[in-house]
Amino acid sequence: MLGQLLLCVSLRDLRGESSCKDADVLTIEWMNQQWGLLAEKALSWPAQRAAIVADVHFGKSAAFRARGVPVPEATTSQDLARLTHIVQQTRCERLIVLGDLLHARDGRGDATMRAVRLWRDLHPSLHILLVRGNHDHDAGDPPADWRIECVDEPHSSGGVWLRHAHQHSGDALTPAHPHRESRCVIAGHVHPCVHVHDSEGGPSARVPCFVFSQRSILLPAFGSFTGTHPVRPRAGDRVFAVAHNEVSEIATVAV
Amino acid sequence: MVTPPQPIEDWFASNRWTPFEFQRETWRAYLEGRSGLVHAPTGMGKTLAVWLGPLAEELAHGSRAGSGGLRVLWITPLRALANDTLRNLRAAVDGLNIQWRVELRHGDTASSVRLRQRQKPPEALITTPESLSVLLSYPGASELFRNLRCAIVDEWHELLSTKRGVQTELALAHLRTLSAPQTMRTWGLSATLGNTEQAMRVLLGDSHPRRGHAHPSPLAQSEAVLIRGDAPKEIVVETILPDDIERFPWSGHIGLRLLDRVIAAVERARTTLIFTNVRSAAEIWFQAILKARPDLIGQVALHHGSLDRDIRQQVEQLLRDGRVKCVVCTSSLDLGVDFSPVDQVLQIGSPKGIARMMQRAGRSGHQPGAKSTVIGVPTMALEMIEFAAAREAAGAAPSSPSGKGRESVQVESRDPVDRPLDVLVQHMVTLASGDGFVADQLKDEVRMTHAFAHLSDREWQWCVDFVERGGTALTAYPQYSRILRDEASDRYAVSSKAIERMHRMSIGTITSDSAMKVAFANGSTLGTIEEGFISRLRPGDRFVFAGRVLELLRTHNMTAFVRPAKQTSGLITRWGGAKAPLSTLLSDAIRRKFDEARRGVFDSIEMQLVRPLLDVQARWSRIPAPDETLIEATRTREGHHLYVFSFEGRLVNEGLCALVAHRVTQREPRSVQVTGNDYGFELQTPKHLHVDEELLREILSTDRLVEDLLACVNTSALAQRQFREVARIAGLLFPGFPGQPKSVRQLQASSSLFYEVFTQFDPGNLLLDQARREVLDRELEVARMRRTLERIERSRLVIVHTEHLTPLSFPLWAESLRTQSVTSESWSARVHRMVVELEAAASAEVGETRIHHGDHGDARKSTRGSKARNRKRVAGTSRIKHG
Repeated sequence: MLGQLLLCVSLRDLRGESSCKDADVLTIEWMNQQWGLLAEKALSWPAQRAAIVADVHFGKSAAFRARGVPVPEATTSQDLARLTHIVQQTRCERLIVLGDLLHARDGRGDATMRAVRLWRDLHPSLHILLVRGNHDHDAGDPPADWRIECVDEPHSSGGVWLRHAHQHSGDALTPAHPHRESRCVIAGHVHPCVHVHDSEGGPSARVPCFVFSQRSILLPAFGSFTGTHPVRPRAGDRVFAVAHNEVSEIATVAV
Repeated sequence: MVTPPQPIEDWFASNRWTPFEFQRETWRAYLEGRSGLVHAPTGMGKTLAVWLGPLAEELAHGSRAGSGGLRVLWITPLRALANDTLRNLRAAVDGLNIQWRVELRHGDTASSVRLRQRQKPPEALITTPESLSVLLSYPGASELFRNLRCAIVDEWHELLSTKRGVQTELALAHLRTLSAPQTMRTWGLSATLGNTEQAMRVLLGDSHPRRGHAHPSPLAQSEAVLIRGDAPKEIVVETILPDDIERFPWSGHIGLRLLDRVIAAVERARTTLIFTNVRSAAEIWFQAILKARPDLIGQVALHHGSLDRDIRQQVEQLLRDGRVKCVVCTSSLDLGVDFSPVDQVLQIGSPKGIARMMQRAGRSGHQPGAKSTVIGVPTMALEMIEFAAAREAAGAAPSSPSGKGRESVQVESRDPVDRPLDVLVQHMVTLASGDGFVADQLKDEVRMTHAFAHLSDREWQWCVDFVERGGTALTAYPQYSRILRDEASDRYAVSSKAIERMHRMSIGTITSDSAMKVAFANGSTLGTIEEGFISRLRPGDRFVFAGRVLELLRTHNMTAFVRPAKQTSGLITRWGGAKAPLSTLLSDAIRRKFDEARRGVFDSIEMQLVRPLLDVQARWSRIPAPDETLIEATRTREGHHLYVFSFEGRLVNEGLCALVAHRVTQREPRSVQVTGNDYGFELQTPKHLHVDEELLREILSTDRLVEDLLACVNTSALAQRQFREVARIAGLLFPGFPGQPKSVRQLQASSSLFYEVFTQFDPGNLLLDQARREVLDRELEVARMRRTLERIERSRLVIVHTEHLTPLSFPLWAESLRTQSVTSESWSARVHRMVVELEAAASAEVGETRIHHGDHGDARKSTRGSKARNRKRVAGTSRIKHG
């Protein structure tokens, strides 16, 4: 069965070096603040002079290689180049990583660790904050010479909760979260994507996305060698697809 | 001339059998040291023809000193067949008083038994290609196979055109090396094919011994023998026909309109097999029969590949014992030993191929003097033409006086696979896990197989590099190696025990779609269903599977838990697999029938019945002559439609869809939707399309065929889908299973991720190349597509602008489920039209997103009462380019 055929005219230019044209940044207002959505899958927070990414998963390719599955190491250098691009584009003073900075214990291969350390030295005055995610608990904290401040979730900053995984307030109360979330939550973990359909009958697609809900912002996974999980927005959500080096809002329709 | 030993003649006599001449011929050839292939329809004594050769040798020469251990390997593609085979082989061994152990070995064999089989092997072992590879993956294989005299491959026609067949070729080549200097014979059993000679050559390996290889293949030593079993009984093709054609559907694939007649036929016979072309059709017909005749419950059974093995075995036993009146099945009952109580075979829908139809007919009529009959049940009007055409092509009765004799009957060929590097890579790791290999020696050995006879040095080296260090570039895959070379011995071995274990678990070439088990709460399983189907259901939803109406309770890991539903209906389970396309032979025969109709010749009852429909086609459009290609153009509410009728089968037509869609959208930016079926394809577009000869000649040209196909295929879901199979076989992906260890779970990644990552960072990766090649050859049948386009190029194009949809175009128009969309507009141009569907349920918490699969909490029953407007305007956004 052939299923769906998607013919794209423009091939994505995903080389790590900045292309001569800057990627689009979509700026929106949410919860009385300005947010910038970058096609490099990062969130710019100008009020805090910060840039936020989630689910970096450094070392995932190394973890696979250690188990006998060949995944190119070039994913690491590409991701590091994208981080540089984000820092330059947003002119941030702080880089916040919402969890899963490292993928696994056996992903701490020499080549990967060396590459990140070299990158760190290129941005000496950048403050980096890691909100630990489930993979970080397994992989261990980053080495001290990466100079990353590591905190557990939820972490309060600038009037919002920074989390790796968003706990829905509709769920049963758990001991760790005795209070209802009354502030905005920014989180990752889900690696969200949406199925988008062409309302005029062209091919549909599955694209990574940002989702802005009434009290939360969900980030797409930053890492190159990461999968995605489809999500369905609720009424009132705003969905922003990231594809072909641009961020575009997608209209939502009721089923 | 060697005559079979007296004990064999005695044993036959004691059973009141007479050996067939072809059996004697086979024994003779074997005893002369030759290899070969015996081909004949199912049954007909092939097993004894080939098995008694080694037994005769044993009787004549006895056990030579020092030649203990495994003597004969019997390779079978289906585990289900193995039990029957075991019984038959043992009966002969016992009947001839030979002290041989004959045992089974496959995935379900207990591990204690498997261990003992390696340590104290039986004289004869029945196994599958996968289990044979597993045997080669243990050290000690050279010892185990040292005295192997003969390898027999059963149902070789089933393996021939698949990667399993290549896996078998590679294993056999290795066995020939291991069993030397004792010359190992190779024998195959096969149905008759269009390319039986080639099938034998592929099985026996290359006929020209390579320089430096001390042990030439069987073909070189002495002539191999192609032996034809007895000709089959006469075949009769009948059809169940509607009383009149007026209200018989022009389209539709399940078509239960003839249900009553089918039930009447079932009642008339002792035991009936009802073949359907897809599993969902089997489920539908099973339900329909029982709903119409609840009194038949317990007398009708269901059998298809997604049912649990225990269920299938129960049904097979019922068939053997004659305790079931009717089994509704798919190709799941195509192979294997005949069930003698079966005296009637029905075929729902066109069989799509001559060989398949004849094989199924042959499942009936085992009584002396009985004929092999297949009764066709058309599900739509044009299928009657297909049955008439198939009958004629098969030289079957009842035929018109001018029907050709059986000797000139053609059957389809099965083309061997060319250079599947994923199978080679897996084979390398298999050998590396076992006794290891020396690169140059293995290269020579591998080139003795048909599949890799033309393997280039570059391709070989790439494969070694791939398993040794990921690719040709030295630093691209740091700290990766699956195999390592020992400096001293120059042998490659697997680099760690963990890799060895993972590899053994994933040996094989069968890639199933992510399948979920279907089980009752108490754990007993019914079978498997595709994850894609289950994911669209919610707890409480009902669906039909394994002949029952089930209610979904919940899903957990890879299992869907169900209970019997109280209601009597539900969604019929669907599987994504493709139906077999119309074969070239049959499509040629169909075009001949259309031509006869055009000339006013209606020489069979089916053609006479379908005549009014063809009259409509002639009036509203045209019936094409053999040197014409019919093109219809029409307009509906949806837009402009173009129909091209090639009659060349679904795969070619779907490939033409991709090609034509690409070419049309390249002329100017537009979106098109394309659909294909066995007779032709449709192109639909909202924007006006001027249809004339110039346009058609351009979009149907053979010029740049491969380049244009690659352009569609390169960035398409098709190549990604094919890559999934390649990635799985090459060891990039591991099949998930319930209760899998964390180490396996951590290695789960989708094949599309690998595809993206390789495309970006390792574009020279030959697995990508292989996936693209396979899409062209196997999915799009590019060779057949080229021949079709050449035929169209030579033909006269007849363009008819029709007012209505015609009998030929209507079925295509109705196939909206299988539409592909293609566009040449950029993402930027289209994104404003894109919409995403909201989560259906109304919830107290507005504005929270949930992961689609995991959400069971909300009231599914909430209505869509106040429908939101279809398009929400996007407000409050701005685009700022950072400078």
